[in-house]
Amino acid sequence: MDNELTLTRRGFVKAGGALFVGAAVFPSLAVGAAGVEGHPSTMDATKLASWLELHDDGRIVVRTGKTETGTSASAFYAQAVAEELDVDPAVITMVMGSTDDTPDGGLSAGFLGGAANLKKVAAMTRVALLGLASTKLGVPVDTLTVTKGVVSGGGKSVRYTELVKGQQLDLAIPVTGDFPKINPKDGIGLSGLLGLRVTSNPTLKPLKDYAVIGQSFARPGIREIVTAKAQYSGDVSLPGMLHARMVRPATLGSTLVAAGALDHAKFPTAEVVTKGNLVAVVSPNEWEAVQAAQAVAAATTWTPWSGLPGSDKVTAALRAATWTPAEKRGDAAKIDAALAGAAQVISATYEQPYVRHAPMGAFVALADAKADGSVTLYSQTSQAQGARANIAHTLGIPFEKVTIKWAQGPGQYGRTTYGGDGAMADAAILSTLLKKPVRVQWTMPEDLAWSSASPAWYADVKVGLDATGHMVGLKSEWYQPHENDARMLGALLAGLPTLPTGPVSGFGALHSVWVYEQSPAFEAAYVTDNLAGNAVSGGLRGNIMRTPQQRQQNYAVEGIITEAAAAAKADPVEFRIRHTTNDVFINLMKATAAKHGWTPRPSPNPKASRTGTTPVTGRGVGVVMRSGGWWVAMADVEVTPGTGVVKVTAMTVGVDVGKVMNPRHLTSMMQGGAVMGVGEALFEEVTFDTGKVTSTDWTKYRIPRMGDIPEIKTIFTSRDDRGINGGGEAANASAPVAIMAAFFDATGVMPRRIPLAPQYVKSILNA
Amino acid sequence: MPSYALTINGAPRTVTAAADTPLIYVLRNDLKLTGTRLGCGLSQCGSCAVLADGKEIRSCSTPVSRLVGKKIHTVEGLPGLWAGKKGIPETADTLHPIQTAWIEEQVPQCGYCQSGMMMAAADLLGRNPNPTLAQVKDAFTNTPPSPHLCRCGTYNGIAAAVLKAAKLMRA
Repeated sequence: MDNELTLTRRGFVKAGGALFVGAAVFPSLAVGAAGVEGHPSTMDATKLASWLELHDDGRIVVRTGKTETGTSASAFYAQAVAEELDVDPAVITMVMGSTDDTPDGGLSAGFLGGAANLKKVAAMTRVALLGLASTKLGVPVDTLTVTKGVVSGGGKSVRYTELVKGQQLDLAIPVTGDFPKINPKDGIGLSGLLGLRVTSNPTLKPLKDYAVIGQSFARPGIREIVTAKAQYSGDVSLPGMLHARMVRPATLGSTLVAAGALDHAKFPTAEVVTKGNLVAVVSPNEWEAVQAAQAVAAATTWTPWSGLPGSDKVTAALRAATWTPAEKRGDAAKIDAALAGAAQVISATYEQPYVRHAPMGAFVALADAKADGSVTLYSQTSQAQGARANIAHTLGIPFEKVTIKWAQGPGQYGRTTYGGDGAMADAAILSTLLKKPVRVQWTMPEDLAWSSASPAWYADVKVGLDATGHMVGLKSEWYQPHENDARMLGALLAGLPTLPTGPVSGFGALHSVWVYEQSPAFEAAYVTDNLAGNAVSGGLRGNIMRTPQQRQQNYAVEGIITEAAAAAKADPVEFRIRHTTNDVFINLMKATAAKHGWTPRPSPNPKASRTGTTPVTGRGVGVVMRSGGWWVAMADVEVTPGTGVVKVTAMTVGVDVGKVMNPRHLTSMMQGGAVMGVGEALFEEVTFDTGKVTSTDWTKYRIPRMGDIPEIKTIFTSRDDRGINGGGEAANASAPVAIMAAFFDATGVMPRRIPLAPQYVKSILNA
Repeated sequence: MPSYALTINGAPRTVTAAADTPLIYVLRNDLKLTGTRLGCGLSQCGSCAVLADGKEIRSCSTPVSRLVGKKIHTVEGLPGLWAGKKGIPETADTLHPIQTAWIEEQVPQCGYCQSGMMMAAADLLGRNPNPTLAQVKDAFTNTPPSPHLCRCGTYNGIAAAVLKAAKLMRA
């Protein structure tokens, strides 16, 4: 145990009944008696139970600034705390994601860092409790054991609840980290997005002793969702609240000529509000707001603009852009020499159009601006502190004047992870203007047109083979507009200050992990601004999406490796195995192949055909390594060449994430990620004309339906020798590669672009 | 604005609303039944599904004036629907077997679409108490007016939960 820990006993507290464990310092801030100085709406971590409360009724409240985004992190956090405290995880209530109720948690990514903080706090609390128990029982600490919150030793026992009754204890828990700040030097325009980190190093339970982690614990909150008791961010209402619907510009670059007049005879309680190019219709009655906004939109005039290339020309437009080298890895000269000496070289360009997060519910936010200049926002953002800095900057008010209250929302898949995008700026601006609480609900067509998206990309890739079919080198150069635009549309359109975002990635641009160490590789990433970035709306704003960058980079690399295996006349699983010595990877590939019923042979299938109305079949494999986790996907497809229709008929996902925290929820992540992968592989494409996005409903932005999805088999083994690694994403990165490879196996034609929509399929089969 | 006498989750509720107001705004804003979720607003996703006389309707695009005389059930009314069917008293702990199955299978990820998914399950199991997996997939994909969509990709879990609920309801 760290010797910097102190335990001070403060005697009885009038409120009584809780053991408070507080983080000691916000390092960059002076700490005052009444709160963190200058930050009255922020928890005073020295005085409040900022991390953990044990109540004498047995309940435990755990606080984290991280959020539940649908990946079951709340279950894993509860399990991690329960493990270190030796309690039943069911007694834990998670408080998540709000600026003033939780310690700064940082990004939605980095679940493991959040768990590490909580594990440390829980371990320190356990030591404190054992100290109390030792005194109470008169038994040395080192002879005590704990089971489900009962401390036993020397033939005696006492419950945690009895130990904390009427007590308050403060533990000094050292933390580092800053609140987010506007920073023009950071590509996102915000620094300090990583949240707090607990820096002490208490002794943690070894993995082999885990009893709670590794169990399929039911996630707290699922019962509430199923019984309609869960509150979503869109469910919050305030007295006197106005409902708003936005009237968006005619194109991404249009400016307002004149807002349409409102027919007050027809819409007696509605009102039009404008600020720059931001136009809204508000009403105390939501349906009136909907209808009045439609009427106003039809009568509102905008300047013409046509600065987009059209989605059918997106790759050509990207080719013509000016690119900045962002990151590289490997020795380019060495690879060029290897390729020059190779017996066989395959060169290809892989590409994908814009795709988007496309949650089931459009953005919604409620803002309550007060006369004192403070604003409270209710939101599903997964980065409340970043959103707070963002909103404060837009409104020109101090950081501490913004409070963000988090509630769960439809899955965002990364688009709110920097605290940007969404309806918060719209709501905050309108509420400030109207001096009333305003709830802004985007429509689904609006969300599918105006939210940020995962940008189109292309990659020039080359692979060389020697005469024996061994890869002698791979070179991948990947080009994508930046995907770190955390500006909010409302602020952009209103002409108010927005983040000084730039094309340089704040978190590195090259995320691909090269897993075939028996062959050298050079990988480089290049970055440019948003497409039509000088439009008043910011153009097509790029944002990260589940398994960001790595997902896209991996398609190109794994795609050409599939081509290389075929050129080497090798089975694609065996070809991959022969280029690595990593036992974890090799064992996982073999286990997944066995589960899938993989028959080794080279691709394409001897029965492959690119013509006819009889379906042809194929199978493929794809691999990705992400956040320490290995992922393998295998897919069977059926292709009807005459119609261009592709159907996935079987899929298996294998994973090695080391210690598995919760088998049932890992299975859910593996299957759900694979479903998203089917969407990218077969259907998903953001389309646009020269002015605006046109894929604005669920028939035009097609996502997977139940009938598109086969049974998805999963295989994983929990192990204690690799720690705990990321399990929430990456199935969506391996599945599309497997589907592309299966298409190649079935037809003999390697698709170097996704989605495999019928028209594109027919075009490549007829080429 | 006119008033409409509705029957929601077995109870009479009178609401004042414009005749063309979609049911969802009445449910969520006037009756504070927020378990029904606004999805696309276009009858294309199923998030807002409720039951009218046991059949699924999309509350985002069904005017309140057309629902007078119908028995409307929302996700909040699933326990009461089951208790009524079995002739058992409804308590705070009563769950519809569909809800039990959804919890046991731990179906939701973000959970946003799941109210609508459970209502679709209630509709299907009302028509077909013992569906095959293929029939479940067909129902959730091809029943008008649109497929029921889940962006998190919980389809395998939903299908398993529907089959489990069917078994629980037949028991």
